[in-house]
Amino acid sequence: MKTRLMALLLVALLALTLAGCASDSPSPSPGNNNNNNNNNNQTPAAPPADEPITLRLEQFSGSGGNEDTLKEMLSKFNVIHPNITVELQTFGYDDYFTQLQTKVVGGNAADVFELNFENFVSYASEGVLLDIGGRIGDTSGFNQTALDAFNYQGRQYGVPNSFSNVVLIYNKDLFDRAGEAYPTSAWTWAEMLAAAKSIRALDSSIFGLYRPISFHEFYKGVRQNGGSLMTDDMRQFTVNLPQNAETLETMIGWVNDSNVMPNDAQMGGMGDWDLFVSGRLGMIVTGIWAFGHYTENCDFAWDIAVEPGNTGKATHFFSNAYVVNNETKHPEAAAALVAFLAGSREATSIRVAASWELPPVTYSDILDAYLAISPPANRSAVFESLNYLCTPPVVKQQSEMQDIIAKHLGNALSGSMSAQDALDACQQELEQKINLN
Amino acid sequence: MKRLKSKHSFISALPFLAPSLAGLILFSLIPILASLAISVTGWSGMSRVSLFNGFFAFVQTHFIGLTNYLDIFSDGEVWRVLSHNAYFIILYLPLMLLLSLLVASILHHKSRAAGKYRVMYYIPVLTSWVAGALIWKWLLSPEYGLVNNILAFFGVDGPLWLQSEVWAMPSIVLASVWKDMGFYGMILLAGLTGINPEYYDAADIDGANRWRKYTRVTLPMLSPILFYVIMLSLINAFQLFPQIMIMTKNGDAGPNGATMVMVERIYKYAFRYGRMGYAAAYSWILFIVIFSFTALQNILQKRWVHYDS
Amino acid sequence: MTLRRHKALYHIGATLLAVLIMMPFFWMISTSLKSRGALLALPIEWFPQAPTLDNYFRLFSLDGFSNSIFNSLVVSFFSVAVTLISSAMAAFAFSKLEFRGRNALFMVYLATMMIPSQVLFIPLYLLMSEFRLADSLISLILPTVFKAFAIFMLRQQMLSIPKAYMESPAIDGAGLWTTFIRIICPMCKPGFATLSVICFMDTWNDYLLPLVMLTTKTKFTMPIILNSLNGQYQSEYNLLMAGALMSMVPILLLYAAAQKYFVSGLQVGGIKG
Repeated sequence: MKTRLMALLLVALLALTLAGCASDSPSPSPGNNNNNNNNNNQTPAAPPADEPITLRLEQFSGSGGNEDTLKEMLSKFNVIHPNITVELQTFGYDDYFTQLQTKVVGGNAADVFELNFENFVSYASEGVLLDIGGRIGDTSGFNQTALDAFNYQGRQYGVPNSFSNVVLIYNKDLFDRAGEAYPTSAWTWAEMLAAAKSIRALDSSIFGLYRPISFHEFYKGVRQNGGSLMTDDMRQFTVNLPQNAETLETMIGWVNDSNVMPNDAQMGGMGDWDLFVSGRLGMIVTGIWAFGHYTENCDFAWDIAVEPGNTGKATHFFSNAYVVNNETKHPEAAAALVAFLAGSREATSIRVAASWELPPVTYSDILDAYLAISPPANRSAVFESLNYLCTPPVVKQQSEMQDIIAKHLGNALSGSMSAQDALDACQQELEQKINLN
Repeated sequence: MKRLKSKHSFISALPFLAPSLAGLILFSLIPILASLAISVTGWSGMSRVSLFNGFFAFVQTHFIGLTNYLDIFSDGEVWRVLSHNAYFIILYLPLMLLLSLLVASILHHKSRAAGKYRVMYYIPVLTSWVAGALIWKWLLSPEYGLVNNILAFFGVDGPLWLQSEVWAMPSIVLASVWKDMGFYGMILLAGLTGINPEYYDAADIDGANRWRKYTRVTLPMLSPILFYVIMLSLINAFQLFPQIMIMTKNGDAGPNGATMVMVERIYKYAFRYGRMGYAAAYSWILFIVIFSFTALQNILQKRWVHYDS
Repeated sequence: MTLRRHKALYHIGATLLAVLIMMPFFWMISTSLKSRGALLALPIEWFPQAPTLDNYFRLFSLDGFSNSIFNSLVVSFFSVAVTLISSAMAAFAFSKLEFRGRNALFMVYLATMMIPSQVLFIPLYLLMSEFRLADSLISLILPTVFKAFAIFMLRQQMLSIPKAYMESPAIDGAGLWTTFIRIICPMCKPGFATLSVICFMDTWNDYLLPLVMLTTKTKFTMPIILNSLNGQYQSEYNLLMAGALMSMVPILLLYAAAQKYFVSGLQVGGIKG
């Protein structure tokens, strides 16, 4: 035993001496430690157009069937820029961010890569991304809310490539059976709950509503009820406001009191989409990316409406953006690629034709093409919802914040504490752990 | 340990040690030092770093002293997380020991079928955690899983397993015991075969019955191996992670954080929350915990481990 | 009479345990043969009513799946070779050579086992980047040159070899190598067999290190592909179970081949601990 302790001490000692040696090593070389540098803006103009360039593009949203759609866009890009070869790599969502991180740390990140909203600020604030504001040309055709979401401290670090918002999807057949009128954009929580109750009354295995008690649903829910999770300048959390507690109580009531929404036991491990597709759910609040799946799998009539609010209306959106690596050797070509994939007419019309979410643009001809597809018949509700977009709280420690909030929402849902107590505890933990400076 | 008379010079041993020594320095010591250095920084783990080129300047810019360590202890989360590790161990260790002793006893039996059993008992060990965890996630699916359907057959209304705060950790324990008992059973089997048969003959002469032989001969003679198994399984239990990452949905560490454990936190802070420095500090705390337990075990062993010499 | 009853009891107990242990695999195989509809059928189908191999065809048509089997085989094979050679050499030095500082050095080797490896991944990746080896299969193979567990196990086995073998001919320079290669190594065959299975298993099943090291899809190993399927086809357990089964095949074959050495190897490895 003594020898063992001695040996461990030895390791520690060795560690210290080696650390000392390491510290004496020469100071940093240029190109290293490029936190917050923006000097790529000073690089000379784009290389001659005919010089062959290879760009690496890595992304996660175009996995599965969407990869072919993306390849189609890239072949159109090559028509305009025959000198640029794009090496595309697609990853699954779960592993993408772990791998992205190691690549960034090791200096091996792709020229152009994709970020979701949750991770955007973290990378933007680390100086890993290139400000491409001046390189992507005219941006007036973009949906400004989506574009602004990827603007950090006045710099446009990313361009949204896809865009999807959330609507209320309902099962027309169940509404008919319950004798309820279909939802309209004028609905509030009260009408929604009334309809949900009479649908719930149809059968013990049929439910009225599904709207998970999650971070995203909650930050939007408090907006619908005149509250917010942070002050407008995003300097302070306001999670435990009384109207927020009221929102949470209402949402939990849908599960525990009226039980129009199934609890975990009633879900029995089934997915929320599965429940809707099986015809046992009246209404579901979910993203427009469900359209394709529902069109294919639902054997009943369904349609959509703008999601009901309470004292006010609010809908939320999800967006992914392409960003450019600060260390790329070809900033102009990379920015051109980003601009093309995200906002060009060629790329966006391919996207619409493939029903791959919504392009983040406002070109009317392309959006008309989107509207022409049915079901849902009331597709214009997708655009109407855009009038009520609210942006989630954005902090550097985004994922950590979301996990903390979700944990406390779970505590309130399980009934182990009241909504107000849970939010008080949540506020306290956020203030302690999340650095807002 | 007795001091060696150096019969051979270090130089003559060096060629034999060279590959592993190089590996030790390159792939173990250097990363350990780097991680110690990172643990005193506020680095997010999301910016470019070079290990040989300006690493010191990098540490200097991000240096925050012992803040990470102090934050971890003032936060209180670490105690909850450690208690989950402890809860896992309390459920897992007795069950695993019991079952692996059973496995070892079955395989020790002189029977022609023992070979077949041996193959079957060992298959879970050979299964990767990715595959094993996926299988268990599906087995424990409340509605469509085999487990609850078998329970229903006996009229029992099965729990929600991984989706229930109470049952999430026991679900992980169940899968882990299934996966590990063959491995430890095999090590114990090796111990059983090593017991000198003369002891049993002596016990027979004393007229001892089976149970008495088991408690008076087998267990004491097996105690060094049991000790080894406990040490190994404790070290592994503190580092439990892949099953949790795959079985409880990535991102929420089980209902109300019921399956938050040390390595899960380390992984989250390092690769999800952008706090690499904090994660590095967390893992050094884990190292200290494991080290203390190992040391404690070593002291306690004198009271119950019987060395045959 | 009692003997026969004991025998019956033994077989009942052993079989029961075997059934419990094998149940998950039964469910895995059964599920992998189901169609999407049968997967969510209630009451559940214990045996698929209309078994199909579609999931397997789909699996192998997926981007990168067959490739990942090949990558995993390459990495595992070379890792085993590297570990065996390097560990046998180190174990020889630690068990048969008596040099100053031997025990202390051995303790340093063992102490590394207690450090949670997750924390070393980023520095290790940085190191491999410096050597321009990041994102290569070599970056997974090289670190296996140092495996404390393997050295420990082989050392235990070599300790049980009587000293007399060392005291033959000349014990200097080339003499040591001859002893090592001609005498000691052949006597450690069971240890090598056991270690091969354990190391192969370790590498074949490793998930986090390759996840961090490998960034090009064509280089991914099996567990990464399997878990990315988990991410993409969340509730399609029929496909996931087919993947799980496929990931087990090579290691089962190896186990079957090394089986007869296995117990004796572990025995020497464990007993003197």
